[in-house]
Amino acid sequence: MKKIAIIVGLIILGIAPIVFPSPFFVHLMIMVLMWTVLGAAWNILGGFAGQVSFGHATFLGAGAYTTMILYLKLGVDPWYGIILGGIVAVLISLPIGLICFRLRGPYFALSTLAVAEIIRLVALNWESLTNGPVGLLITTLPQVSLGGSPINWESKTPFYYIIAVIALGAIVMTLFVARTRLGAYLLALREDIDSAESIGINTLQTRVVALALSAFLAGTAGGFYAMYFRYVDPDAVFSIGLSVEMVFIAVVGGLTTVVGPLVGAMFLVTLGESFREHFLVGHLIFYGFFMMLAIRYMPDGVWGRLSVLIKKIYTKKGTNHGAA
Amino acid sequence: MVLLDVEGLTKSFGGLKAISNLSFQVNEGEILGLIGPNGAGKTTAFNLIAGFMPPNSGKVILEGEDVVGLKPYAITRKGIARTFQIVKPFRKLTVLENVTLASFLRFSARKEAEAEAHKVLERVELAEKATSFASDLTLSEQKRLEIARALATNPKVLLLDEPMGGLNPTEIDHASILVREICKGGVTIIWVEHVLKAIMNSCHRVIVIHHGEKIADMPPEQVVTNPVVIEAYLGKKAKKYEEGEQTC
Amino acid sequence: MVSGILTGSLYAMIGVGLTVIFGVMRIINMAHGDMVMLGMYSSFWALTLWKVDPFVSIILWVPAAFLVGMLAYRFLLKKIVPAGELNTLLYTAGLSLLVSNLALFIWTGDYRTIKLDYAVMPLRPFGIAVPIPLAIAFGMAILITVALYWFLVRTDTGRAIRATSQEPVAAALMGVNAAQMEMVTFGLGTALACGAGVLLAPSLYLYPTVGEILVAKCFVIVVLGGLGSVQGAIAGGLLLGVVESLGAVYVSVPYKDAIGFVIFLLVLLFRPSGLFGVGKS
Repeated sequence: MKKIAIIVGLIILGIAPIVFPSPFFVHLMIMVLMWTVLGAAWNILGGFAGQVSFGHATFLGAGAYTTMILYLKLGVDPWYGIILGGIVAVLISLPIGLICFRLRGPYFALSTLAVAEIIRLVALNWESLTNGPVGLLITTLPQVSLGGSPINWESKTPFYYIIAVIALGAIVMTLFVARTRLGAYLLALREDIDSAESIGINTLQTRVVALALSAFLAGTAGGFYAMYFRYVDPDAVFSIGLSVEMVFIAVVGGLTTVVGPLVGAMFLVTLGESFREHFLVGHLIFYGFFMMLAIRYMPDGVWGRLSVLIKKIYTKKGTNHGAA
Repeated sequence: MVLLDVEGLTKSFGGLKAISNLSFQVNEGEILGLIGPNGAGKTTAFNLIAGFMPPNSGKVILEGEDVVGLKPYAITRKGIARTFQIVKPFRKLTVLENVTLASFLRFSARKEAEAEAHKVLERVELAEKATSFASDLTLSEQKRLEIARALATNPKVLLLDEPMGGLNPTEIDHASILVREICKGGVTIIWVEHVLKAIMNSCHRVIVIHHGEKIADMPPEQVVTNPVVIEAYLGKKAKKYEEGEQTC
Repeated sequence: MVSGILTGSLYAMIGVGLTVIFGVMRIINMAHGDMVMLGMYSSFWALTLWKVDPFVSIILWVPAAFLVGMLAYRFLLKKIVPAGELNTLLYTAGLSLLVSNLALFIWTGDYRTIKLDYAVMPLRPFGIAVPIPLAIAFGMAILITVALYWFLVRTDTGRAIRATSQEPVAAALMGVNAAQMEMVTFGLGTALACGAGVLLAPSLYLYPTVGEILVAKCFVIVVLGGLGSVQGAIAGGLLLGVVESLGAVYVSVPYKDAIGFVIFLLVLLFRPSGLFGVGKS
């Protein structure tokens, strides 16, 4: 049953922009997929490892700026830039992890907030590198052809497929984490760090690895952001608001699950973007509201609730498929 | 053969000397009891040996290698495992997952780690509870889970921190048998305990600690009648009472 | 430097509210900054619609905020606290987002200012320019702080709050009604935040998301002073105000905000119980 769902999902993913070509809709799907990647990124550290970070925008921004700068100043094509953006994000995450992982729980969360703000202020002021508050702008993307015909960057469709691939990568990475020893170790240290250490788990190293994976995903999403929106400035990509949105998508969707971030993104981003279309501001109202609902009534997130319901339906029917 | 050699361990907290020049040896294959009145420093000694706290001075030599200064996970990997006085199971995970996490140390593939975990659960008689959540177990079962987790790391030395605390007499007997079985299986054990009956029945040798210092090191039968030990537990008044003086 | 102390006193007021809420209920209230924002907007509308001076309307807003705080705690927060500090943090973060975006939606993101007729010329004691609204705010903040101090130290309720903040179990054993204390404390914290907002309004730009940066700064203060310590929060607030204004002069204007965060990180790492070490880490 799961395999059928996966195949159907992939098919839908593949043909969606062809079936629903309206620009708003394609934009919406792009946003959903991008936030799925960001939610999945946060989920690895905040969900599996239980280390709640309020500064993940740092990695998004690092990826975005890397891609921008490499393209504008060195002519590196954005698709390479996206991967390189991910790598730069990983490199930044190492010292951040070593500093912040000395702290636990809410103190860790606050320290990530502080680090994120420091980096935002640095980006704002290091004008020779980042152009400061003015930001960086892409006017034309490189001329490329796929199978003979040139890619039309004015249409949203090519961007859709790029982010779809990245999103699939994010889900695969989460699956990898969930199924292997790394995932088990993360769940252990999430519960009790001392206990985990006592059975031979190097919790610092494990957390650093989780952060690196998380940063990579967020960095690649950042690189995509740069390519799609073609404009970055420190307040857009390094803001606390973005960090917070990542948290919300992961939590509302369902922590420590593979599908959770996708569900969270589908839910929140759709609500938010639709609201934004009509009213322009305040779309985050839903994020706040649903976060409160989730913590109060659905601590396992929307997907957590849904999967329990699905299980119930299946066991009632008498079929036992041992689903997710 | 001496497996673990503790030399001159000292630990102070501010002005308070919790452990003072503690030295003792543990022979391979023995069960060494560690007893002493409340506050004597028994759990502190464990924390020092297992790496959860650095000593101010002293050495902990395992098979010729000094492990002082290593992080707890490294010490576990060298072969010293411990249980906690107040059990710390991973509550939201199942019993099997709890032990599998420990066996992951030796088997990086999930299937093999789980198989090993099953074996360990059989040894501690928790096999039927494999799919229960750790938070649903009784205290006695949680204590056995704690031991199973430590065992799954295949330790040379197992530090048991008051495993009998909170158990009823039947459970205590049961647990004592388990400890002896573990020792027969090749694990050397250091056992901190308050329940003296269990110690006396199972240990080869007993060390008594008082105010952070070792005051006795002898077979169990001798410890109970040793005047220094009695005085440590009951205080000077007990001695005077024995000698017939008025104490109130 | 002088304006640093003045602003610092208001940071302190906000910080005290935050620290007391954490000390008594171990709630990290991410929505605290939005309470300040609501205070700011309340005084703005009071001035615009009813022509009432902020320093007068504060008399209405502080008790109102106290009530709202108590109700918010009772009906929104109380059930969440048992779920743990982190969950409560996420919940208040959600609340913060909800409140600030609702404000954004209703009042739009346009920057607003409060112009007071008597505020045009600054005072010049000893030749230092002191803006009048800030001076009045400072004065009132001192008043409120003194009143608060008197309340916490001299009255039974106040002592009960301090006791619960330091040792909740022992306090309960001594007959302190924890549930009541919690409501009162949250109301108190909210009232302080709101009051600070009213006092700050004539001196700052008003926009709905001002809470975000304020709450970050106030966490810096509260951690510096020791979570749960009132004196620490006061000292921390003044310190931050001074450091920021000095930093603006000597380091460079943009990096002045960063200074606070760097110090914050350093304290968290090396002295987790803060400079005055009362709170548990």
